[in-house]
Amino acid sequence: MSKPLDNPTPSPVTQAAVTVALAVYLLGLVLSIVGDSASGSSSLVRTIKGRLFAPWMVPAWLDLGFDYRLTYGNDEEGDYGLEVRRHGDAQTAPLRLPGRATGERAARWRRLARSIAVEDSDRDGLLAAAVGRGMFDDVDGEDVIVRVLRTPLVDRGGPPRPPVQASSARVRMVEGELQLIRAEPRGEVAPLVRPDADSDTSDRGAADAVEAAQ
Amino acid sequence: MTARSVVARSSSDPSSGAGIAALGDAWTRFWFGPVDSRPLALVRIGAAAIALVAWWSYAADLQAWFGPAGILPADAMREWRSPCGFSLFDWAASPVALTVLFGATGVVLALLLVGFTTPVVAPLAAVLWASLLHRGPMLAGPADDCLSILLWCLAIGPAGEHFSFDSWLGGRANRSAPRPGWRASISQGLLQVHATAIAAAAVLAQFKGDVWWNGLAAWYLAASPRSGAGDLLPLLERSEYLTNLFTHGVTAFEIFFAIGLWCGPTQRFVARIGLIGWPLVGLLAGEPVWGLAMALFALPLAVRR
Repeated sequence: MSKPLDNPTPSPVTQAAVTVALAVYLLGLVLSIVGDSASGSSSLVRTIKGRLFAPWMVPAWLDLGFDYRLTYGNDEEGDYGLEVRRHGDAQTAPLRLPGRATGERAARWRRLARSIAVEDSDRDGLLAAAVGRGMFDDVDGEDVIVRVLRTPLVDRGGPPRPPVQASSARVRMVEGELQLIRAEPRGEVAPLVRPDADSDTSDRGAADAVEAAQ
Repeated sequence: MTARSVVARSSSDPSSGAGIAALGDAWTRFWFGPVDSRPLALVRIGAAAIALVAWWSYAADLQAWFGPAGILPADAMREWRSPCGFSLFDWAASPVALTVLFGATGVVLALLLVGFTTPVVAPLAAVLWASLLHRGPMLAGPADDCLSILLWCLAIGPAGEHFSFDSWLGGRANRSAPRPGWRASISQGLLQVHATAIAAAAVLAQFKGDVWWNGLAAWYLAASPRSGAGDLLPLLERSEYLTNLFTHGVTAFEIFFAIGLWCGPTQRFVARIGLIGWPLVGLLAGEPVWGLAMALFALPLAVRR
């Protein structure tokens, strides 16, 4: 006797159950495409997807937007790389990643570097701190600079462009506590107003930290 | 509208009733009509081979990324990823445990490739693959996404009935030859739906960027150090028309693929074009593994008799 799953056609009950499952999945597929678009999504879609579909689609790695735009020609899409060095050590060559790695392995390092550079503000440097902490042994120190360098795209007919710093952070261990000091782009740092240079040491400390991280 | 009003309208309007019935028939034929599982076996071999390549790309940096002293510790990743995310690799707290679990993933993918105990290893491969991706979500790329879909489709259908160790063992035990079935139909239907969804979503995303309209996208793709089409650069630099042709060719191909897969007369032709077109797009975009994975979605329709 053959098993029900081996029959050429399903029984009506199986067919009905599978039809419902397919309909639910196809709805989930549509919502995941609509909800994971780079253009954002509506509250309604986010709520329905988050409550009903994400709990089983996310663990299976099926909650995907598939918005593979391949390129928009923006500088942000350039090639990303990671550079880690011990803070204050200008003599030793920094650790560069992906280095000489090629193919998918190198692509994964580049994705990691890009994620550090474009990390959401609500994640608050979580990735940069984790990477910096993980690199302490590699650079033989507990005070490191984690930089992400981006090689911008080359315009048609234009010259190759040198890598630019996409993000930089100083990660250090102070009395058993991990500290992350982000270097904000200079344009985004508010001018320091010090009516009385001797009175405000905390501001100076902050400015020193930013300079150190840069 | 209530169920009753639907019935009332159907009974008063025979054409709409016939339309609903035809739709039901088409749905049943598409999802439950018995089909041969040989194409699915080919997808199994291709997907497992690509998954092994992608799996191997983690090997050299496994401890550096996911090890106890790695740069992507499990607790940080739990905080970083979606709250619904889940990874078996989170429990691999020691270097040995991590190596064993990672090795087991490779073994499962290899068993899927040769088709040994396929009904067990196919779902296991999908679960382990999703777990590996969730362990470091920021390391995953488009090829990994597509592989995840492919592995789940293989887990649903009878992917080991042909070209497999299982079928060889079945032949030795004088078991009857596998017949076309509905589970193969569901698997292949899902592959077709996803092929369309991915191509359509990609082309919609591209149309939001100026370079896909002004025809320069192919230049930026080829000029990237990641691209495997760097040899094209001198040609593209010399001729703007050629650059435009490549750019519009990519979008035209994606539209043609998404629509053509659903038209009876063009279906097989479009699928066969997809077998060549996707790897070429992947090469241009610096995502060759993704291009190969995309081609696998088209494989069942390309080889269907």
